[in-house]
Amino acid sequence: MKELHFKQIDEKMYHEQMDNGLDVYILPKKGFSKTFVTFTTKYGSIDNTFTPMGQNDVVNVPDGIAHFLEHKMFEKEDGDVFQKFSGFGASANAFTSFTRTAYLFSSTNHLYENTETLLNFVQEPYFTASTVEKEKGIIGQEITMYDDLPDWRLYFGTIDNMYHNHPVKIDIAGTIESIDKITAEHLYTCYETFYHPSNMLMFVVGAVNPEEMMAYIKENQSKKEFVEPSTINRVFEDEPSDVAVKENTLEMDVQKPKVYVGLKAKETTLQGEEMLKHELAVQLSLELAFGRASDFYHEAYEQGWIDESYSFDFTLEKGFGFAIIGSDTSTPEALVTAIKKQLTKIEEKWPFGLSDLDRVRKKKIGFFLRALNSVEYIANQFTRYAFNDMNLFDAVPVLEKMTVSDLQNAFASIQGESQQTVFTIQPKKDQAKK
Amino acid sequence: MFQSIELKQGIHLHIRKTDQFKTVNFSLKFKQILSEKSAAQRSVLANVLLHSNKKYPSNPAFRSALDELYGTSMYMDSSKKGNEHIITFMAESVNDQYLSSNGVLNQVIDLFKTVLFNPNADHHEFKDSIVKREKDSVIQRIESLYDDKTRYAQHRLIELLRPNHPASIGANGTIEEVESVTSKSLWEAYHQMLHEDELDIYIVGDVDMDEMTEKMKTLFPLEGRTLANKQEMEFNDVNNSNSSHVKEVQNMKQGKLHIGFETPITFTHPKFPIMQITNGIFGGYPHAKLFMNVREKESLAYYVSSSFSSSYGLVFVMAGIDASNEEKAIKLIDDQLEAMKNGEITQMEIDQTIAMLKNQLKEALDSARGQIEIFDQYKDLGEAFTVENWFSKWESVGKEDIQEMAKTIDKKMVYFLSGKEELAHEGTSL
Repeated sequence: MKELHFKQIDEKMYHEQMDNGLDVYILPKKGFSKTFVTFTTKYGSIDNTFTPMGQNDVVNVPDGIAHFLEHKMFEKEDGDVFQKFSGFGASANAFTSFTRTAYLFSSTNHLYENTETLLNFVQEPYFTASTVEKEKGIIGQEITMYDDLPDWRLYFGTIDNMYHNHPVKIDIAGTIESIDKITAEHLYTCYETFYHPSNMLMFVVGAVNPEEMMAYIKENQSKKEFVEPSTINRVFEDEPSDVAVKENTLEMDVQKPKVYVGLKAKETTLQGEEMLKHELAVQLSLELAFGRASDFYHEAYEQGWIDESYSFDFTLEKGFGFAIIGSDTSTPEALVTAIKKQLTKIEEKWPFGLSDLDRVRKKKIGFFLRALNSVEYIANQFTRYAFNDMNLFDAVPVLEKMTVSDLQNAFASIQGESQQTVFTIQPKKDQAKK
Repeated sequence: MFQSIELKQGIHLHIRKTDQFKTVNFSLKFKQILSEKSAAQRSVLANVLLHSNKKYPSNPAFRSALDELYGTSMYMDSSKKGNEHIITFMAESVNDQYLSSNGVLNQVIDLFKTVLFNPNADHHEFKDSIVKREKDSVIQRIESLYDDKTRYAQHRLIELLRPNHPASIGANGTIEEVESVTSKSLWEAYHQMLHEDELDIYIVGDVDMDEMTEKMKTLFPLEGRTLANKQEMEFNDVNNSNSSHVKEVQNMKQGKLHIGFETPITFTHPKFPIMQITNGIFGGYPHAKLFMNVREKESLAYYVSSSFSSSYGLVFVMAGIDASNEEKAIKLIDDQLEAMKNGEITQMEIDQTIAMLKNQLKEALDSARGQIEIFDQYKDLGEAFTVENWFSKWESVGKEDIQEMAKTIDKKMVYFLSGKEELAHEGTSL
């Protein structure tokens, strides 16, 4: 077991790789009564074309299957796993993103019983034709729920505009039609390919004795048989650099329009510390250009083009990346024009200097330190970073070394008109006036 | 947990010294009687105070100052509890020991003082342009409720169930009341907040108690105030033993089923802990009857749960279903409550629910916000809050207690919001 000490932030973390390839990280937090444990596979909605474990031919599986599989892991021959967690007072949950499926619980008692439940339910698949059929009604309602959420539709509509081929454009939960095609065999194929311990990471944070916990997990894993790990072959079609659709609109039953400007990233191949530096540099640039202290924000807010729903964000993974800026607004055209004007201004002459960088750098360092109060943030973000060969605890040192030209270089990835798309949600014309 | 002292009559300081967090959290709770007017005035006021001030006369200047203080977050929340309206000003700043520069904490306290006592106002009036802008923001906040169909449906249910009652008053007031706010009325609301509100100040972090107490005394050079006795709410019982069924239609795909029940139990009632367990078994958790039957057994819903609104003595059930399954879902939900009234409650369900309640309470105490909110709520009970005390209250609850409690839960209103085509021209029907 390796001990890693981060002096500046006063945290110690422990790491060990199990014989079967599973990476386990443990971070004790003093003063906490809860322990938060995540068990995550590097497998998400984008992994829909791959060579199944032990086979030679590439297959394409129905949209929404990673999420469907996540649901089905909770049902076993002897009942529902939630019952077990509740018996030991643990709140359990799971989520599927573009690139990850995470199973998790938090508890303030019975830590080892709950850890065992988590390890065992994720490592013992049980899928039958009838349990798969039964789940289609439940997930159907989940999909319908998302269909009625304007902000969700806005986000995915923007991504759909940006991508020609990449599976990031498909809905994480799939559609009613696509999930109808899912069978128990599909689930086993995906499970065997992506749930090998060597493709997974366990993170334990909070009230925990690291030596005892590591020994406990090791003991649990040593009792189970797994095939030899092999490299997973994921297949992605070539993706052009520019956006697929420049503009799109959807009508929904909303009070006022909502608009997002999406900026598709050109640079999506980096991993490790290079990726960390690049990602932070784009985030700092966006903060300078579109943050609450920017001239853009000031004008847009005082003019009434944006409201409290205004947000901007940058997402980066291997193979895709994008920035999104937008708000609920009664004047979507004016807002889009202002966002594009700000981008053009920055492209023509980089306007930010060292004092600007210092301000947003401080803000970001403060953000990281505050986030370290949250065991959920630590576990989820550490896992995401690790799957991209980055280390969450390098963020502050990397920020301290950042220069103005680093920001300028990184920002180029989302610059240029060919990278820009607009998605708008408009109130239905025939909708009753409230 | 917290050490509390009375700074002046009606002003209390509660400090919790702990090295659990890397930050220091401040929370100032100004409490006043809830009405649509007070909620509207105070929501706009909080926004205006956080827009800018005399020292930082524009919003970008104010936001830049916060960025420079290592991204200290300063924000407000306009909320209600029972018949009180609460404005909470919160700040969270990184503890100096983790930073290369010193004195951040003191600067944050100074900034708080500026925000509260040095507003962007002249001659007892706030600046018109800022007031106008922030009125728009609050109106937009109220309007956005309509876009979130689950929240909207829940709001409609309470409005129908408890009209003209604190339960149905929004924490931001109404659009009409916000529109009537003026620069002058806002100044009166500001004056009232500072000089008449009940004020609770919370600090959580690795701070020096005595030093912090002295600082707060200087920060708040306010006089004591006499608080009106906390009034018991009237429950304006609609005197209607039948339950109503209201259907509404919008352009949407899912059916939002919201059911409201009455119970005489509220937060201050000695049987409150029994109701927590009763609600937990009914629909509070993934092991609950609603989840296991409506979702897992019948596949009717993705989300289905119950919640207990302890301020108002109301229990709510909500579920997202296909509109064609409305009757089936209502029947199934009724069956679960009926089963509890008939004593169909297992020891396993009781044990699971108590384990979950215990976990929830202890977990909530693992965040500074959680510590503040729980302490602020439980201090009104007039007994010292301890985790062990609540654990023992839950542990003493048995099956018969729960069965009796289930019998007090009385269904009053079914509200169904859907996009069902054939109803599109009928409008609202009771």
